[in-house]
Amino acid sequence: MKNNSVVHVALVGNPNTGKTSLFNLLTGLNQKVGNYPGITVDKKQGKCKISDELTAEIIDLPGTYSINPTTLDETIVLDTLLNKNNVSFPDLVIVVAEIENLKRNLLLFSQIKDLQIPTILAINMADQMERKGISLDIHKLKEELKTEIILISARKNSGIDTLKKEIENYKNWNTEPLATISDKIDSTFFSEIKAVFPEFSLYKSWLLITQQNNCSFLSEELHSKINLFKKDSEKIKKYQHKETIFRYQIINEILKKTYKVDRAEATDLRSKLDRVLTHRIFGYLIFTSILLLIFTSIFEWANLPMDLIDGFFANLSELAKNNLPSGTFTNLIAEGVIPGIGGVIIFIPQIAILFLFISILEETGYMSRVVFLMDKIMRRFGMSGKSVIPLISGTACAIPAIMASRNIGSWKERLITILVIPFTTCSARLPVYAILISLIIPNKRILGIFNLQGLTLMGLYLLGFTAAISSAILLHNVLKIENKSLFVIEMPNYKLPSLKNVFYEVIEKTKAFIFGAGKIILALSIVLWFLASNGSSTFKNAKQFVTSQEENNGLSDANLQKKIASYKLEHSYIGNMGKIIEPVIKPMGYDWKIGIALISSFAAREVFVGALATIYSVESEGEDVGTIKERMAAEVNPKTGLKRFNFATGISLLLFYAFAMQCIGTLAIVKRETKSWKWPILQLTGMSALAYVVAVIAFNILS
Amino acid sequence: MSATIANLRVGESGIIEEFSLDLIPLCLLEMGCLPGKEVKLLQIAPFNDPLYIKVNGSHLAIRKELALQIKITKL
Amino acid sequence: MQDILVYIALGLAIGFLVKKYFFKSKKKGNCDSDCGC
Repeated sequence: MKNNSVVHVALVGNPNTGKTSLFNLLTGLNQKVGNYPGITVDKKQGKCKISDELTAEIIDLPGTYSINPTTLDETIVLDTLLNKNNVSFPDLVIVVAEIENLKRNLLLFSQIKDLQIPTILAINMADQMERKGISLDIHKLKEELKTEIILISARKNSGIDTLKKEIENYKNWNTEPLATISDKIDSTFFSEIKAVFPEFSLYKSWLLITQQNNCSFLSEELHSKINLFKKDSEKIKKYQHKETIFRYQIINEILKKTYKVDRAEATDLRSKLDRVLTHRIFGYLIFTSILLLIFTSIFEWANLPMDLIDGFFANLSELAKNNLPSGTFTNLIAEGVIPGIGGVIIFIPQIAILFLFISILEETGYMSRVVFLMDKIMRRFGMSGKSVIPLISGTACAIPAIMASRNIGSWKERLITILVIPFTTCSARLPVYAILISLIIPNKRILGIFNLQGLTLMGLYLLGFTAAISSAILLHNVLKIENKSLFVIEMPNYKLPSLKNVFYEVIEKTKAFIFGAGKIILALSIVLWFLASNGSSTFKNAKQFVTSQEENNGLSDANLQKKIASYKLEHSYIGNMGKIIEPVIKPMGYDWKIGIALISSFAAREVFVGALATIYSVESEGEDVGTIKERMAAEVNPKTGLKRFNFATGISLLLFYAFAMQCIGTLAIVKRETKSWKWPILQLTGMSALAYVVAVIAFNILS
Repeated sequence: MSATIANLRVGESGIIEEFSLDLIPLCLLEMGCLPGKEVKLLQIAPFNDPLYIKVNGSHLAIRKELALQIKITKL
Repeated sequence: MQDILVYIALGLAIGFLVKKYFFKSKKKGNCDSDCGC
């Protein structure tokens, strides 16, 4: 019985050609996103059944305009296709182009073809041809390009079967290079190269010479030969330019014979829309309205699912405690693990909704217009127009936001974006804000319409945003990094968003968050639970000690339990930690119990509320626990007899959380994306210092 | 008359002249911005930066500092 | 018995965190700044 054989396929193409749609069509839910080793780029792979005997393992390489990379993810395309030993090196390449920008798409195609890997050209959006007055002589084009061409429409799901059928035949594809440009540029030079690297295709050798990547897969000998060629960098640069010009000449010639557009450049949908959407005034108005819509939606729509999730996990915790055999492990599950996981899951609604909007806007092509509108403004702050989306995403969670900054070409602009994103008010701060605001701000209206509590919340958002752009300006002026600002973006045609693509994108981003942040939060929750439930000998002897102390005081059993629990907490490891930092946090108006919550919220900020709940409920073990808010309102400073969570302390806490860099998940991501400890440490110390100073000042002024 | 893309007004076009390879990044060429091709200014963002142009069939946005480097002959 | 499970879980958690933060990445990426275009 013939076993299924596997063929490795790489999908390449310009952005905005519908490559992703094709990938989704071919692989459906059989796709997974991983990581390229040592580099922060997502690796998208999937399986597709080509025929009864053949399965394709498809890798969706990042979209690029040319095989010469300009951003980090474009280097993946080069690396994958140059190195035969690369795990993802394909048996065949599908170049996806689209009918309207065929000329430019063919540049990349011609480069890939010259690598002499079996290649097929899939021209997408073929269903639009008639509408746009485009006619194509496929037969002649196939001849000229020496390649099989399939017209497809990913949107209409047509041509896919033809594509698959052709793939079965890949071993018979023509692998001649498209054109011998080398002679036009400098035949002597290239003959030299050919002589030195007979085993590689000429174009491949040329790429090895022109590219910065470290060609680590080559032998020492070849390496040094390449370095020799690299020495004449002026000449190489000149030749690269010439190569591009000649390629386009060839493409032009070919298209003249095969590609006709029958309509005058009339005012089509794109120009009409662009005139409004990039308008000096309306452009911004529209953008602001869209932003408002996004934010309102996030907060309104997410509330119900979040409450449901909250309730679900609370119940699950109860269930675990009541049904599992009693003991420390059960406690770990019920008090550490389940709340820990719940704390991650509860963010899914907000993150999913935010990415739903972003993905839809991206799919329609609108995002490029946003970048266009915002670029100059963002540059004032040392960032790029491409920083807008990451900054907005930061209001859901900093982690996917920082990852979204990967497409910013200039390193300095990207770095600054990454460093300031944590200032934006992420949704993890909301539970902290919500409970503190409800405790210390009266629920009144001013001027008849504005709710004071709502205003405070908005104020905090503005504060975060202001902090972000202020620190951006500071960093822009202080950081001595060369700002190679290379900014060339395509303004794609507008199109209706493909809901399928949006769906996959949202799932991908949500998964990235859950598994990226989730694991860390869970691990930290376990550790913190342990620290709160264990201690040295003082802790272990709590029951005895307290019982004997209170022997003659005639306490009820419930109150005795309460005292024991309270004593235990105070002398647990985490209690000790809280006590140790108490002198430091006292100027901010906090005590060691708040100190414990502060430490715990290092796992994830929203843990602050949960931690306080734990501290107070752990304290009142065996007694009925009111909601956390009532409990906090009732808490009293033993020294002054006054409320612990008074206005001064409350504001101090709000400001602290607004500025502190506490999220370990974020620190991990920053380290990964910047490839160094320097930056996360800088963020941590800088932001913590700022938070501390502001909180201290606030507390002292207000009390 | 010699001018650069930055001198175009919205709706105006020009033909790109030969340019110095040091000043123009390779990727711009790869996007289709080649000597001899016609370039049309479609929109300018507020504050005069970036510029939304159409060249060689591609619709692109480039920053002013880059536009200043590309000489054209106005049509 | 339960205690043993707790310690195992704790060990795994700490091990994971340490690995995440102190593990040196095996391969140095090719370009960490923008690849001069």
